[in-house]
Amino acid sequence: MNCTRRNFLIGGSTTLFLSGYFPKISFASMQKKNLIIISLRGGMDGLTAIPVIGDKRLKKLRKKLILEDVLNLNSDFGLHPKLEIFHKLWQKNQAAFVHATNIPYTGRSHFDGQNLMETGAHIPYKEKTGWLGRGLLASNIIGKGLAISLPMPLLLRGVPQNNNFFPSPDFVETKLIDQIYNEFKGEHNELIKSTLDTIRQRPLSMQIATDSDDRKKLALEAAKQLKDQSGPRVAVFDLDGFDTHAAQGGVDGAHADELEEVNKIVTILHENLGQAFDNTLILTLTEFGRTIKQNGGYGTEHGYGSAILMAGGLLKKSQVYTDWPGLKKKELFEGRDLNSTIDSRAVYNSAMSICFNQDPEFLRKEVFWGDELPDLSQELFKI
Amino acid sequence: MSLNFYRRVAFGLSPNEKPYKDPLNWAINQLDRIPDLLWPGTIPTEKDLRKKYGEWVYGDREVLRKKFKNDKHAYRKAKDELRIKTGERYFELNEHAIRHFQTKYSKQPVFERFWLFWGNHFAISEKDFLAEFSTGPYQREIIRPNMVKTFEEMVQSVTTSWCMIHHLDNSESFGPNSKKGMEWGETINENHARELLELHTVSPNAGYTQEDVIQLAYIMTGWAHKWDRKNLETGDIWFDQEMHQKGDKIVLGVKYKNDAKRELAKVIHDLATHPICIKFVSTKLCRHFITDEPTDEMINPVIEAWKKSDGNLIEIHKAVITQAYKYNENTHKFHPPEIWLMQLSRMFDLNIPLSFEKMNYTFKSKPNNRQRQLSWILREIGHSPYRAKQPNGWSDLEVDWVSPELLLRRFWFASVELPMLVKSGNRSHGFILSCLKNNFEDHENMASLIDNFRFGTSDYDLGQKYGVICNLPGVLKI
Repeated sequence: MNCTRRNFLIGGSTTLFLSGYFPKISFASMQKKNLIIISLRGGMDGLTAIPVIGDKRLKKLRKKLILEDVLNLNSDFGLHPKLEIFHKLWQKNQAAFVHATNIPYTGRSHFDGQNLMETGAHIPYKEKTGWLGRGLLASNIIGKGLAISLPMPLLLRGVPQNNNFFPSPDFVETKLIDQIYNEFKGEHNELIKSTLDTIRQRPLSMQIATDSDDRKKLALEAAKQLKDQSGPRVAVFDLDGFDTHAAQGGVDGAHADELEEVNKIVTILHENLGQAFDNTLILTLTEFGRTIKQNGGYGTEHGYGSAILMAGGLLKKSQVYTDWPGLKKKELFEGRDLNSTIDSRAVYNSAMSICFNQDPEFLRKEVFWGDELPDLSQELFKI
Repeated sequence: MSLNFYRRVAFGLSPNEKPYKDPLNWAINQLDRIPDLLWPGTIPTEKDLRKKYGEWVYGDREVLRKKFKNDKHAYRKAKDELRIKTGERYFELNEHAIRHFQTKYSKQPVFERFWLFWGNHFAISEKDFLAEFSTGPYQREIIRPNMVKTFEEMVQSVTTSWCMIHHLDNSESFGPNSKKGMEWGETINENHARELLELHTVSPNAGYTQEDVIQLAYIMTGWAHKWDRKNLETGDIWFDQEMHQKGDKIVLGVKYKNDAKRELAKVIHDLATHPICIKFVSTKLCRHFITDEPTDEMINPVIEAWKKSDGNLIEIHKAVITQAYKYNENTHKFHPPEIWLMQLSRMFDLNIPLSFEKMNYTFKSKPNNRQRQLSWILREIGHSPYRAKQPNGWSDLEVDWVSPELLLRRFWFASVELPMLVKSGNRSHGFILSCLKNNFEDHENMASLIDNFRFGTSDYDLGQKYGVICNLPGVLKI
């Protein structure tokens, strides 16, 4: 029932006022829960984001990449100084981390890995839909997905009528959209037709022209949308640039710059979601971690285990949740990568069960083909 | 044969072209030789631009940062001046102009479509200042001359090009048992080796292992840019024996004897002629020209032509076009934004790119808005060709190009921006109708959709007409 561009332009501003504001009251009793995923493409280095403290082996292998001053989490783990919002939220039990985790993929290819982190499958390119899209569909939550990117991420595909937000420099007349829509009516192109449907039903608040290079503005608008009780329930951000083969750096440098972007998005979401932050979960997603050892260019190579950064009021408590595999040579995956001891899909499945009010067993079967994924809701989230 | 064939394999027909009697021959005859670049303005060499790149990074990194280390404001100002002086903000715009001038006016537009294809197969993604200085000349000087040679020769050139080596960090890869590797305690960087296997040649279908990647990286050690204090990383590519891993290597079960710089050519030969590579690249070609999910029936004749000609790209291209012709009536292909723009520009004779006189740059002030226009449009419709996000380049699949915002941007371009690109002599309704007739079977139906505006020639009226025409089902997807 939210106000769309269409009925705004047909009905004029009175309609806008009526249809835009009154329905909210009737929905106010049912608090909506938001799930926000931030994709970190390129392979996020869990050991840079959440460094293990005082590990001599790591210091030896990563001479040029060691962080001098980390933020303190607990006796075992620190936090990269650029992730200060997580540190702030940690004090309030609103930030937590899963460490030594990854999707069950060990092939070290970005493109296969990113395909699998989004589909949640075992064989690259086999599935055409994303786990988040399938989760929404299984929970019968339609038209509530929002991507903060120009293309529709694979992660959200599989449920119809997703929206994305990445405004163009100017408006498009509704009349034109309707005309094109009419011409597509007789065509067998469900993808374009359903996308045109979504365009026609967009809330008025998304009809803005702005500079889409400004991630701050995008995150701000996303927060506004998510705060709206009748707005989206799922949002997906897409960041790239984590593939730091060279000049990865420590406190500053290429990886730090990317972490700073994550920090920026979470900061803005936190500031602008207001009360809705209490009913929100923010989780990161990446294709793999990076090697323990630095390479020839003071960067790192593609690895295996990484970490998930989490924030939001639906977290159970501040913690680094891990079954730490250790960093000795024989404890590493193939002698070079941090191992993954937690299938990250278990974390995402549990998060969906919390945010979509679904039985995790049901989701596991519907979304992940019944793969063995323990329910971690009790450990990680407020239920 | 439907008129859409001219858009399937090229960019449609311009107002002064007429449908050809034998479209298949018309297309196939374009592939034997390399057409000249037509851009009448400046076409700088790769080497010149690399020199500019060097001036920019040296000037910034070694001079300005040190000179103004305590004055951020002054640093920013000096850096902006350096940008102007080195053309850091200009050369990419010029490259886009060269590219779009070519696809608009080339007498061999089918060849140009293959040029775009290979540039994206061996993509250079957004990294450092490659888009600013290097990716454009790489397309012209590395990709283009190899399009009448063999696939293997193309891979050899690409792999040892300055642009690709910089893009995939091979200069930072040291054989751990090499002289420099031992002295400096350095090791390999796998990035380039991995993408050579995965993206450029055999694909993961070949089932290579981590050890294969490492062994190939060993073979590739030593291929690096020649570093010096003044040019930094922008020196020529050479083979540095002191970085090269000694000893025999084994990749995909084949042993390569310790043979210094000759190892690379041998392994590339084996990769580029590998049956899985042939199938992988043939499939990509069919995907580009026929449909998103080509069948074996479509692909097999391309594979046959490949094998029969030992990977001769002219023969491979001809086979692809023959297949595209054969399946033209029964398959559909959604074109990504840049190709759509090129087609509109050619079919409706738009003012893209800006004239070469107006593109002329004096290196005295920032490029003006008109000079930036084409590049800005490309970015806004979501397809800035030299800025793919990752080394796998831009997707060729419809699902990756259809989202609310991506469609809205096409609507926006056709209805708001395009009218300003219509030449003053082309504003009449009759002009549009003749272009439609030249390119679409159902031109009468299309004309009826814009009939309400037949007397209108203002930007607004043209926006109403082009907004619809350019986004019809049969235009977005052939």
